[in-house]
Order: sequence, then C-alpha cells, then structure tokens
Amino acid sequence: MSDMPRILSGNFDVPNCHRIDVYESRGGYAALRKTLPETLGTKVQEEVKAAGLRGRGGAGFPTGVKWGFVPKDTGKPVYFLVNADESEPGTFKDRFILDYDPHLMIEGTILSCFAVNCHDAFIYIRGEYGWLVDRVQEAVDEAYAKGYLGKNILGSGFDLEMIVHKGAGAYICGEETGLINSLEGKKGQPRIKPPFPALVGFLNCPTIVNNVETVASVPWIMSHGAEAYRAIGTERSPGTKLFSLSGPVKRPGNYEIPLGLPLRELIFGEDFGQGMLDGIELKACIPGGSSVPVLTAAESMEVNLDYEDLAAKGTMLGSGGCIVIGSDAHMPEVLKVLLQFYHHESCGQCTPCREGTGWLDMLIGRMLKGKGHQRDLELLERVCAGMAGTTICVLADAAVMPARSFISKFKHEFEALLPKGIEPEDYVPTAHSAEQSS
Amino acid sequence: MAKITIDGSEHDFPAGMNLFDAVAQARGEALPHFCYHEGLSIAGVCRMCQVEVEGVPKLLIACNSKVQEGMVVHTKTERVQTTVKQILNFHLLHHPVDCPVCDQAGECSLQDFYMKHGLYDAAIDIDEKLAKGKVKPIGAHVMLDAERCVLCTRCTRFTSEVTKTHELGIFNRGNHSEIDVAPGKTLDNAYSLNTVDLCPVGALTSRDFRFKRRVWWLESTDSVCNGCATGCNMQIHHSDGKAYRFKPRVNRDVNDWWMCDHGRLLYHDIQVEERLEGPLVRESESGLALPGNWNTAYAVIESKLSELGEARKIYLVGSPHCTLEELYAFSTLLPAAGAEFLGYRLAGSERGIADDLLLDGDLTPNAKGAARLGLREFDATALAAAAGRNAILIVLNNDLAALSDDCAKALTGFGLVVHIRDRADRTARLAHVTLAGRNFAEKAGTFVNRKGRAQAIERALEGPKNARDELRIIRELGSLLGHSPVWKDAADVRREMATRHDGLAALAGAIPTAGVDLDARQADEVGHG
Amino acid sequence: MSEAEGAMKAAAAFAFSAEREARFQKLVERYPTNFSALMPTLWLCQEEWGWLKPGVPEWVAERLDVPVSRVYELITFYTMYYTENPGRFNLQVCRNVSCHLMGAQRIVKHLSGRLGLAPGQTDDEGLFRLEEAECLGACGMAPMMQVGNRYYENLTPEKCDALIETWMAEATSDSLRESRAEEASDV
Repeated sequence: MSDMPRILSGNFDVPNCHRIDVYESRGGYAALRKTLPETLGTKVQEEVKAAGLRGRGGAGFPTGVKWGFVPKDTGKPVYFLVNADESEPGTFKDRFILDYDPHLMIEGTILSCFAVNCHDAFIYIRGEYGWLVDRVQEAVDEAYAKGYLGKNILGSGFDLEMIVHKGAGAYICGEETGLINSLEGKKGQPRIKPPFPALVGFLNCPTIVNNVETVASVPWIMSHGAEAYRAIGTERSPGTKLFSLSGPVKRPGNYEIPLGLPLRELIFGEDFGQGMLDGIELKACIPGGSSVPVLTAAESMEVNLDYEDLAAKGTMLGSGGCIVIGSDAHMPEVLKVLLQFYHHESCGQCTPCREGTGWLDMLIGRMLKGKGHQRDLELLERVCAGMAGTTICVLADAAVMPARSFISKFKHEFEALLPKGIEPEDYVPTAHSAEQSS
Repeated sequence: MAKITIDGSEHDFPAGMNLFDAVAQARGEALPHFCYHEGLSIAGVCRMCQVEVEGVPKLLIACNSKVQEGMVVHTKTERVQTTVKQILNFHLLHHPVDCPVCDQAGECSLQDFYMKHGLYDAAIDIDEKLAKGKVKPIGAHVMLDAERCVLCTRCTRFTSEVTKTHELGIFNRGNHSEIDVAPGKTLDNAYSLNTVDLCPVGALTSRDFRFKRRVWWLESTDSVCNGCATGCNMQIHHSDGKAYRFKPRVNRDVNDWWMCDHGRLLYHDIQVEERLEGPLVRESESGLALPGNWNTAYAVIESKLSELGEARKIYLVGSPHCTLEELYAFSTLLPAAGAEFLGYRLAGSERGIADDLLLDGDLTPNAKGAARLGLREFDATALAAAAGRNAILIVLNNDLAALSDDCAKALTGFGLVVHIRDRADRTARLAHVTLAGRNFAEKAGTFVNRKGRAQAIERALEGPKNARDELRIIRELGSLLGHSPVWKDAADVRREMATRHDGLAALAGAIPTAGVDLDARQADEVGHG
Repeated sequence: MSEAEGAMKAAAAFAFSAEREARFQKLVERYPTNFSALMPTLWLCQEEWGWLKPGVPEWVAERLDVPVSRVYELITFYTMYYTENPGRFNLQVCRNVSCHLMGAQRIVKHLSGRLGLAPGQTDDEGLFRLEEAECLGACGMAPMMQVGNRYYENLTPEKCDALIETWMAEATSDSLRESRAEEASDV
C-alpha cells in the first residue's frame, strides 16, 4: 500500500490544507500552472480519456468520453456542474475532500472546465454540509485572489467564473438532471432522456455534471500523465478510489484504495478497517452505497473492489460507500431503514417510483410489526418488477436492488416474519387472474 | 420519410416524428397514456405509453421517442402488457374508488385503461390510502379532488405554458405530492376550465357541471362558439332537449384544443328564462307585450302595411349574431320588396377585451361574414333619421334597445317595430310585434370568424315548438310584402349566396367540419384565373 | 382584506439587513437567471428570520419576479426550508443504515425521553426540536446528529446529555442577558 500514490487523500492529514498557501506549499496548483498556458483544452480531454478515469459518483461512466459529448459549435455557453450533493447512504468521501482539500477539487474543476471550453462552473453542495459551503466559498475566494479563477487565468486567455451553490435537502438532487433542474430554481426532479445533458442541460445549454472525486482526480493525471494513472488499479478500472467504510468495524473511515483491492482487505486489513468489533461476526456487506445489491459474508470474502468484479458478482461499485453489516443486525429491519429512505426521497414525478417506494416501505413495515400478509414477499417482488427499468431515473432501481437482494439472500429472516397457515380472506386472488392478460 | 414496423406491419412516417403520434395513427388508437398531450410539452411521467423497440434493452416511452428509419416497435408483447398493468396498478394504489360520485365516470382515462388493460387479482393491497385535499374549489369554475389526481402534470403545464399564469403547482415530494393552487391564490384565468378537459381523471372537475348529468346520457353535436369573433370550434353536449355543456373541438387553425371559460358557459344563454315560446303582440291599451300566436302577429303587420299603403317605408336592421344565410336572405329578399337595409350592426357595440390567446375584442360571431356580404354598420343617428309614422322597422336578432339609449329612443319613433328574437329582451318590450326565433343551437348555418374562416353550426336542440326558424320568418315576411324566394332552407340560401358573391363561392356545397379559409380559396382561384 | 391581499401586505413588511441585501444583490447579479437565484435567496431569508414566515415566500416571489407557486413548490419539496419555527436547537438525528447499525435508534429514544419530544416535535418554548434525518454523510462516525451548522458525531447517551446541558445553559444565560438589557432600558 505504501507505494500507491495518494492521489485524492494526500492532504487529508495535513493541518489547514483547506488554505491556499498550505495547499500550494504541498505542490497544489502546479498542475494548473503547467497545463493552462501551454496546453489546449482538447489535450486535457485526451489525457483524461487515455487515463481511463471513470465517474466516481456512482455511474462509473468514462469521464473523458462524457466530456467528448459536448458539441463544439452550438454558440451556447457550456456549463460545468460539480456534484457535491453526496447523499448516498454509507458515503462520506466527498465530504473529506470538501473539508480537507477543497483546492484539489477547485484545481480539478478548473482543469476540467478548460478541457470542455466551459467558462461557468457551479459547485453544488448538499445543504446539510453547511459549514463546508462556507469553507469552499472561502477557498474559491482565495483562488480568485490568486488569479486561478476569473478572467485570463495565468495569462492563458481562459476565463472561468465559479459559483458555490447550497442545496436544501433532497437526495434526488444528486441525480445529474435533478441537480440541473435544482440549479435552475425548480424542484430537483430528474429529466426524461433524451435529450442528454451534454447537449441540452442547464438552461438548455450543453452541460457536464461530474462528481467531486472525479474532478479531484484530474490534477494528478495532468501532472503525472495517463500512463502513470493506468499503472494503478486494474486494466478496466484504472486509478484509485476513495471508499467510505462504515458499520461495526474497528476503524471506519475514508480510505483511498487502488481499484481492484479485495473487499476483505478493506474490511479486515491492518491498514484499513482492521476487522469487526469484538463479539460481532461479518454477516453481510453492501459494497457501493445502499443502492447496490448486498453481498453475503461469503461473497464479500471473494470479491475485488473494481467495477468489473463487483458487477460479475451481481452487485456494483457505485459510490464506494461500503456498509458492513454484523451478526447483530436483523436484515428485515435494515431493509426497512433503506426502504423508508427511498420512500422519503422519491421526487414523486413518475408513478412507478412514487407509488412503488411508498408501497415497499409500507409492506416491509407491516411485516416487521407482525401484520404482514402471507403473500407479502410475492407482492414485494411484484412491486419491484413494476418499478425496475420503468422510471425516469434510477432511484426506483436503487430501491429495488436492496429489496430483491436482501430478500433473496436472507430469505429465512423475512419468511420468519410472516404468518403461518391460513391465508387472510382479503388476499384471496381471483381464479381467472393468471389467464386475464388482454 | 422513414419506414418503421409497428406490431408487424410496415408504415411510412416522417423521420423525427413523435413515436406516440405515429403509433396512434398506425393503430387507429392511442397507446395508454395520461401525461402526453399534443398541445403541451412532453412530461414522460405517467410511464403508461411504454413500448418495446428492438435493439433497445429497456422499454421506451413512445411519447419521448422519435421515428427512425428501420425502427421495429412492438406495442402488444407480454412484456409491454405486463408493464402497463403494473403501472396501472400503481396509479390505482391510492386512488379513491369514487366512481359512483365522480363526474368523470364514463369519460375517465383511469376507468377506460383499467377496463382495457387492467389486472384482475387483488393486488391493491395496502393498509391505508393517503388522504389529500378533497372537494376543494380552487377557482370560480374548477373543483379539485387531490386524492383522485394521478399527477400527470397536464394542468400545471397548461397554466405554465399556455396561459402562463402559473396558478397551479405540485407541492411536497414523493407520494405526498399534491396538486393545488399556491396559498392565497385561485385558479382564475380566463381559460381555467381547459384544465378540466385536460384532467384525465376526476381530480379537476367543472363546478358548473357538477352532479348535473351522467356523461353517458349526453349526445354531441358539432358547433361553433358564438361568444366572440374567434369562433372556437366546439361541441354542444345535450340530453333530452337540454344543453349541459360546451366542450372544445380541436381545430389547429382556430382554437387548437382550447376554449375560454366565458364561451364555454354560454350554454346557459341558450336556455334563459326569457326564452320565447311563441310570438309577442303589444296590446295597444296597456302597452304590454303579451303572448300571442303567429296569425295575430302577422295580422298586425298586414294591417299596418295596408294602412300605410304606398307611403310605407320599411327599414331593416340585422345583427352580427345572425348566420350568413340569415343575413343574406334578410338583406336580399326584403329589399327586393322595397325595404332599405340600414346596417348589420350598431357601430362600436359589443366590444370586449382581447388577449393573445383566444379572446377577441369583437364579442359577436359573424361581423366578418356580414362584411363579406358587403353589408355596412349603422349608427343611432341613421336609425333616428329613418324613424317616422310611416316607417316600419324590422329588427333581426339584435337587442337595439339594450345596446344604446339613443337607439331605444329612436325605436319609439317608428310606426311599427317588428322584432325577431329568441327571447323577451328590452327591444321586445318596445316592439309592436316580436316574432319568436331560434338560437344558434337550434339551427344550421354558417359564421365567418375574425380570420375569414367560414365555419358551420348544426342543429343540436329542437327548441320550443312554436318558435320558428329565422329563414322561415324572413320568407313569410317576404310573402307578406309580395315577394317569395326560390330558396327553402339554409343550404339553398347558401348555394344562391355562393353564386352571387365571388368571395363566398367556396360555400356552395357542404362545409367541412374544420371550416373553410375563404381567403385561401380566393388566392387559389386568383391563381387559376 | 382577501387572503391574497393579506399575504401581499405582509410581503411588503419584509426587508433584509443591509449586509444581506448587499449579498442578495450580488447573487442576483451572478446567477444567470432570477429563477436560479431562488434557492440562495431562500437561504438568506432563513438566515435573516430563522424560518420562512407567512408573507416571506410572496416577498421573495415579488423581488425575483417569479410566480409564487414556484416558490412554494421549492419550499415544500426540500426538507431544509422551514415554514414554522424549527427551534433554536434543531436536533437532526441520522436514522439511515450505518447509523442505524451503530445504535441511532437508542440515541433517538434517549433524546426523546430527555426532551419529552417525539421525533418531529418542537417544544413549547421553541428551544428544542427533535427530528430524524436521512444520511448526513458521517457514516464512519456513527451514530450522530446535526444541530445548526455542526455535526455531533460518535454519540453516546452521555454525550447527548452533556450537549443538552450546554445548550440549555446557553439559552438561560442569553435570556438572562436579554431581560437585564430590558430592565436597563426601562429605567
């Protein structure tokens, strides 16, 4: 581990590194100073593409490719929105960047805006991180004072304005078109696609939305080169990622890991989680934030933390919010906590999610109260089937994945909640239901 | 054009066309839907119109998809049908089963789609339905029941995009989302009742229509609004000889999908209390206009005619509320017997406030038609100048006395005033004889709107047995004066009119339901000539 | 006076402090549209008055020239805009998965008992409010809560008690100071 460069977390333990003088004393803004006056924005795009950087917010889409979707000559301004709305349960990695190394994000944003010829950037920070909004604003002011923002940055002729925007409490604003709508002053409800934001985004102009961690990776890539970035991680998942580790482990926290690190290392490794708290065994693990399928303890011990291996094992890397579940946990109760979250956060726009998240929450709730109906598990699955893939955005799928995976992998715990024997009268299906498909 | 396949059959549609529209055309019926509406932006929120497109892993909503060359679309596969049922289930989850007391029953999309596509096993299994605002009047004309709402956003899009008045919003989040007016606001724009048309369920209903009639008893007759010169296309919904409401008819050249509230509620005007069941004759002693019969009424006129003999002078006043046929007949037949046509309209009368949507400042439906016949306006001075012992005034469908005091005064100077109207109005109190006519719902005819579009109205209601069609009255007056026409009914009149007026040649035959642009035809003919 | 007129009249009664007015002018200038300036304006209002009192949404609508329905849509959509007093100390305890696994409900129950409030309630003096919140981004330091602009992490019932005592002491000394100032001005 000692030979892995700390691309993202290098300044986390440095006191006062949120201040520009400390940041610069540690080599901060060197990448910007080298790149802007000498290079074209398109070269930055190529470098990031060659490095294989993938979106770190959850989707994992290749960043350089996404930037490439911005059309060159629309005559409209291009907008760059940094998604600091971090709200995925189990995830608190962007918080550390905002808190301990905001200039890393700012420098990365400036480079990224340069790459797509954008002159207006917004940093959208979740409202609950109120004190970090202030901190980032101070850092932005420092950057302006130093000439890293504003007009003709470093004599390159490149202009960039940066606004720090405070959210007001809505998980759905982390969805990129939800974020765009929220920034426009509307409710943060996602948009139907097509059109895609790179063509029609903020104020109907071409827009790129990138996660904090994604832009924070850019300065290192520019100062060390794509090859060096590719030398870390795996072939299809190059580079490092911050993983948030939580749950009953000895050392929860944020860890920067090379992609491909075994999950068991993150949980039990001496440099990382250092294993379970005394008296608790590993029972399950949600590796990438609550919206991805859960892994059993056995499965957790066999998987590596990169996009491909997690997908191959039926889950996802997602946001990198690794939630460890111990033997003291009751899986139906944990699922209830998650389903009530999605119910609370559904924006309400489209029917399957609006009604489905409420229904799932109600069902698991009544099962836990001992008031479940015999066929509730079947009904839960039917609700899930009506939600998955039928909605405007993936919040519905985000509710369905834990629901389906928890129930299928820990079925006995759920079945134990249901009444035995005779079915309740009000749930007798009509005889012709199966044939009645018009 | 692009070749696409829909449910196994090939079709040609313009590339880039909305797939929802293409499928609707191809199949002859639209995909199940709530939120899609041609006149509004695409919302894509109801998720009902999902189809399978080969090569695409997820189902696509047709309303947000465009026709592309080679597309293969399936709308009836098991996967699509199951999905539609599941989504319908979601819509029904918290929906109150209000059908027995809901006005929308019989024209409700939720009912219709459930019957066509619904699930029949008891999968609506929740402990409690969410309670939201119910029986809430949100404006003078519209009643809200938020529990019935399927949150299709048609109404909010209407107030944002069409009227741009923004009264309606959707508040809260998730399944607590609720449509309402903003606190302290009411839905009081001039087009509020269009939201009732748009609402696919009974969440927004008309307060005027509330509980009056079950819609399956209503018959529909195409017509044109008489409220102003825009001439919005509409339907008269009626049952057992009574009109219950007007609804707009789509016409992209006139009113698109909309009508104003004022025009809609004018259905009350064809059923006023003052409606005449038969003619009125003024009693000389009391001066009161009393119910009489046609013979007596015509006898009064005949008697005056013979009393005056050669000295008689007959003046005619028409109205911009008359049909083209009536105006033509009135202004040709009786002048052939020596009458003078003073004008079709009191200058400057019946003006309102216009807007840039549908409201026109001219509150009459046929001023343009009168102009095309070469008729002129008149003023009170001309009317007063015409007055005299020897003068007979025949007024067709025009409440002169109510329009201006000067006119009312001038009327008293005539030797005989014959008023032709459907109701006992102010002029009827001053007239010697009022001949009971019909209103626009009781006749066939043509109006020309402000843009020169000739549009047809049809007879929807019978009306009182002892009232008479205006064309018949004109014919009978003509024969009193010794002139009989060749024409018998409105179609005949129109045919004759079309041959006598170049600009109206297009109206010789039947008029299509979308109307005829008189100026377009004129341009065609000029080109050919 | 109609309800709408009442709201308009109430709206006329509001004004930012000079400092906030300057910030408002600056943000209207920087944000590309008036609509996009809505969220930061509502934050300024909450800073100024604690919560969005009746008439404030109408005042914001007027100042930014946006429909009032759009303002109310935002206020009811986002959880952090309050239309009633959120209490001087608004205890938002995270109830999501990692905090739940580490004993969040125990903290909620403890606070509930200590303050005599069920989640979602504010006390009569407007001093404390207890609420359950969704994931606040402190999952590795669970259980935790947010109060104002600060996170209080790795909570135990004892730590909660200590915090409440500090806050109550603060509130008491504030009110003592206020009443002394009042008395002094009466003299």
